[in-house]
Amino acid sequence: MFTTPRLVAIALCAALNFAIGNVVYLVKLPIYLDSIGTILCALLIFPDRLAAICCAFMAGVIGIILTGLLLNPFLPWFVFTVLAIVLVSALLTGRATDTFRARPLEPLRFFGKVILYGVITGIASAIVSAPVVVYLFGGVTGSGSAFVVAFFLKAGQQLLNSALLAGLTTEPVDKTLQVLLAALLYRATPREFISMLRLPQPSPT
Amino acid sequence: MTPNGAILFGVLLIAATGLARDLTSLAIVLAVLLAFALASRRNLTSALLWSLGIVAPLAAFMALVWIGIVGRAPHEIAAGVEGSRAAATAYVALVCARLFLIAFAIQALFLRFSDWTSLAFVRALTAPALAKKALVLTLSLIETILHAIDRARTALIVAGLITRRFSAQNLRNGWVLVQTVWLTVIAIAIGRTRDKWPAEGTLARLDHALAATAPRFAHVDALWSGAALICLIIVLGLR
Repeated sequence: MFTTPRLVAIALCAALNFAIGNVVYLVKLPIYLDSIGTILCALLIFPDRLAAICCAFMAGVIGIILTGLLLNPFLPWFVFTVLAIVLVSALLTGRATDTFRARPLEPLRFFGKVILYGVITGIASAIVSAPVVVYLFGGVTGSGSAFVVAFFLKAGQQLLNSALLAGLTTEPVDKTLQVLLAALLYRATPREFISMLRLPQPSPT
Repeated sequence: MTPNGAILFGVLLIAATGLARDLTSLAIVLAVLLAFALASRRNLTSALLWSLGIVAPLAAFMALVWIGIVGRAPHEIAAGVEGSRAAATAYVALVCARLFLIAFAIQALFLRFSDWTSLAFVRALTAPALAKKALVLTLSLIETILHAIDRARTALIVAGLITRRFSAQNLRNGWVLVQTVWLTVIAIAIGRTRDKWPAEGTLARLDHALAATAPRFAHVDALWSGAALICLIIVLGLR
């Protein structure tokens, strides 16, 4: 399952997560963009779903460990969010790989699938992240979504509900952007590299 | 201390921090953590400042939301009582103290191994060879990506596609930069995987270099891990 090209893809995608996540974290944008490499890894290794799950999870975990050690010590707590993103990417988003690489680009299908899978990834991510956000951060993570949490709390919602509702309003936007960037990078990846990631098929003879 | 022992100590102490429900429990964790950090005989100032720097913006946000806007603590919201800003302040203090301890624990562990190289640290870890290899390759590729960004940026500035300062042109052509970086990195990865590494036997050498030769745990690991375990038990008892 872990051939040398796949190992390189894992490292490349983990490095991508680290690099983009760092830039976004340092410029304090109200989005995360720290899972583009994870989604891309699943797309690159699809249609081998099991390998896509294992490789993308490894890329995601290495990414959050490195970012956790060097920049944001609270990121490793979101390991189950990484798993949720990996599962959605390998089992659902991967189905759109043909559309993502279609030439010429079919804008309607391309963006339709990006939005659909982005929203699903965002919902899954928000549900899994909410308990960590509540327990570790008291519902406030330092991004703009804190004010959404405050709004729901002020409206009389419980903390977990508020964090979940805030996550459901902000995460789909962030994850749709991440799926879009991952799909565009996947589209730009040379065919030669993708074929290196496929396992050699046994000859019919 | 070995990296394995340090990670075990860190995991136990961070678990204790996560499970702590009051400031007394967190004070016990802090005492163990300070003893560990001081025993490394290194300057703690940078570690403390880094941890404060990480938590300060979060603390400001939390104070604004909980004390300024909401004006009561979560347990008061759950109980449906009117609540007070004092309770909200206590809640913010607890959460911030917990976050500070997590950040400081990681920095204290870093301090212990500040004179180690990344390769030496990964080699000494007890982990599957595949995970160690992927970790080292990732660290190497981060450097490659940073170099690729530098080169692509310079090339696109020379070509007049983007500018050095923030501009509308950068917004329009930013995606060209991202694509250029990605294609550069992929080209480097293909070249390494297909030609360079097989010719130089890089991966076999890496396997050899990552094979752990030092003992997995040292006596001092047992001491610190034991202290962290006792701390965890006390925190659980105080819950």
